[in-house]
Amino acid sequence: MLLAPSKPFLRNRVKEVIMDLILQATVNGILMGSIYGLTALGLTLIFGVIKVINFAHGSLLMVGMYTAYWLILLTGINPYLALIVVVPLLFFFGYYMQEIVIKPVFKAERDVREPITVIIVTTGVWYVLDNLSLILFGAEYRVVKTSLSGKTFLLGELIVSTPKFYGFVATIVTAVLLYWFLKKTRMGKAIMATSFDRDAASLMGINQYRIYNIAFGIGTATAGVAGCVLIPFYYVFPTVGVIFDIRCFIIVVLGGLGSIHGAVLGGIIIGVIESVFAQFMASTWTEGIIYAIFILILFIKPSGLFGARQDW
Amino acid sequence: MEERKRWQNVSISIFAFLLVCSLMFFTGTLAQAGSKVVKIGNIIPLSGPSASVGVQGKDVREMAIEEINNAGGIKSLGGAKLKMIYVDSKSDPTVGVTAAERLINTNKVHILTGCWNSAVTYPTTQVAERYGIPFIVPVSVRDTITERGFKYTFRIAAKDSWWTRDQILFLRDMEKEFNVKIKTLALVYENGDWGTGFAAGWKKLAKKYGYQVVLDEPYPSTAVDLSPVVIKMKKANADVIMLVSNAADAILLTNTMAELKVNAKAIITSGGGHADPKFLDNCKKNADYIFDEVEWETDVGKPGAKETNEKFKKKYGYNLTGESVDAYAAMYVIADALERAGSLDPKKLRDAFASTKLDSGPAMIISYDSIEFDKDGQNKNAGIVIVQIREINGKMERISVWPKSARRAGYTPVFPMPAR
Repeated sequence: MLLAPSKPFLRNRVKEVIMDLILQATVNGILMGSIYGLTALGLTLIFGVIKVINFAHGSLLMVGMYTAYWLILLTGINPYLALIVVVPLLFFFGYYMQEIVIKPVFKAERDVREPITVIIVTTGVWYVLDNLSLILFGAEYRVVKTSLSGKTFLLGELIVSTPKFYGFVATIVTAVLLYWFLKKTRMGKAIMATSFDRDAASLMGINQYRIYNIAFGIGTATAGVAGCVLIPFYYVFPTVGVIFDIRCFIIVVLGGLGSIHGAVLGGIIIGVIESVFAQFMASTWTEGIIYAIFILILFIKPSGLFGARQDW
Repeated sequence: MEERKRWQNVSISIFAFLLVCSLMFFTGTLAQAGSKVVKIGNIIPLSGPSASVGVQGKDVREMAIEEINNAGGIKSLGGAKLKMIYVDSKSDPTVGVTAAERLINTNKVHILTGCWNSAVTYPTTQVAERYGIPFIVPVSVRDTITERGFKYTFRIAAKDSWWTRDQILFLRDMEKEFNVKIKTLALVYENGDWGTGFAAGWKKLAKKYGYQVVLDEPYPSTAVDLSPVVIKMKKANADVIMLVSNAADAILLTNTMAELKVNAKAIITSGGGHADPKFLDNCKKNADYIFDEVEWETDVGKPGAKETNEKFKKKYGYNLTGESVDAYAAMYVIADALERAGSLDPKKLRDAFASTKLDSGPAMIISYDSIEFDKDGQNKNAGIVIVQIREINGKMERISVWPKSARRAGYTPVFPMPAR
């Protein structure tokens, strides 16, 4: 590995540098991991409420990223100001996608405990969206220079990427807001009630399909937040969702299906493993290790770190 | 009654189905009888991590085929037109193999081309060999593709052992020219066939010439975040960083290296993602001083090169790359072989490919003088150029620097690169 210097003074200096770099890897892992968590928030919410694995989640993220991309490219707006437009836009996109595409299938499968056809429909949506953007925008990788791109600041001796740091903050804010919304507002309580028992909730006068629409809308809106957060330091292309998809699934299962803080923490765990373990082995291995840990958790605690024990 | 009606329905639908089938068959044979068509199956990545190079390959093929067809098609086949069929490999070997089987058995293609990703080309050429269908590989650089004694595989691009050999020769020439001593190398490469092939070559050469490898890091091209890899580069602190990257990861690595202020005397890259026209748009000044290895550059001094590039740029909005020029030349190699074979019989076609000696025509925008294949189907003459990426008057440019005979007049490379 490194040249071993003969003088003890030098050797200590090398050690110090390595410690710094591991610290750097940890900080980077936490920041990047929180953003992974943000990309998984929508997936966990939609699963928690609708009890359907949404395979189109990555594509919704892609839609969020393209929306943010075009908005920032055409108006030169600050990526975080773009949230004001992107979030409502994506909310309605998700709301109407559920209303128009998924709801009819749901109604047809009303008597089935686990509506598998809906899962297949979401897979269809995934392919349609990905290929639509391939036709509309082409296969190329698009990057837009924002006021945050490439900016860093120093934290002691550590170099911290500014857009990733803001991404971390945005994740925490989004998660807290979502938590507050679900626990404290009337609509949030209705969503929670539906997630616990949709039949009982219906009997209490909650319109479950409307709740589904709203949950899907909120889930898609969080993908919009992730899109705005990713654009300053990442690129967008039609199949970008696929890259995040698998990670999102692992994060959601790791954190517990339907758990908001589980998704954020799960993301951070994955991010730190990926970043720190890569310092000791080839980064090709870290992917393997993430999956190994994933399987291990499924063995030990199948409901995930923060998942509810009950049977849905 | 009910029963009878149902049977009636069934028999009517069967009849309709048969009618449609026979109509399709009939029109199919009619179309074939009208004018001869040479079907060329192309397996290239049109989605997934390498989609942008795949689309470039498709664009340049379209342009070449249009030129050939407009010039009267294949004369020895009665003016037969070339017809392209594209299949998306998604950079996935399994998808590639299935596509090859389907193109050969269902579409009955006469010639196959592709697949850019060595990992896809390797098994796909095997399928073509089994069926005895000529397979032209414009770019896929893994050595072993033309080292299996295959009779039906022909490659236009240089092998990766030639690429790594020239990178190291270039480095040694630079050391001499600028009197700078290089001791340590960091090898960072995508973990597919292409990257690992390069890494094996580098390690052998490093041993031979006495360079010490301080970092040997394969990484997954689909990674969302490459900062962990960049932190390792920083830790290794090598004199020279050698890279092999696909499109997306090349952008991500270059920008992250600038962010984390990774310093080295030189960064040497291997085409692919670093040669992608989008790379400079997306990295801008972060890519300054990189040495990239390619087969062709827009400033190459070959007649027609400039005009062809301009025509292409007007049509598709970006410059030709070494890899697209290989694909362009491949189409003319195909036209030339068809012309000489005067037949669509796979054996005769194969023999025509094997005796190729193409040294005139539009394909001669390549950086060397003729295309000829050795007994394993490898283009013997394929040449390599090293360029330096520099910011000149606020615009990022790629400037040929090596071999010295190809160096742009009046340009002195910057070596070692200044610290960030």
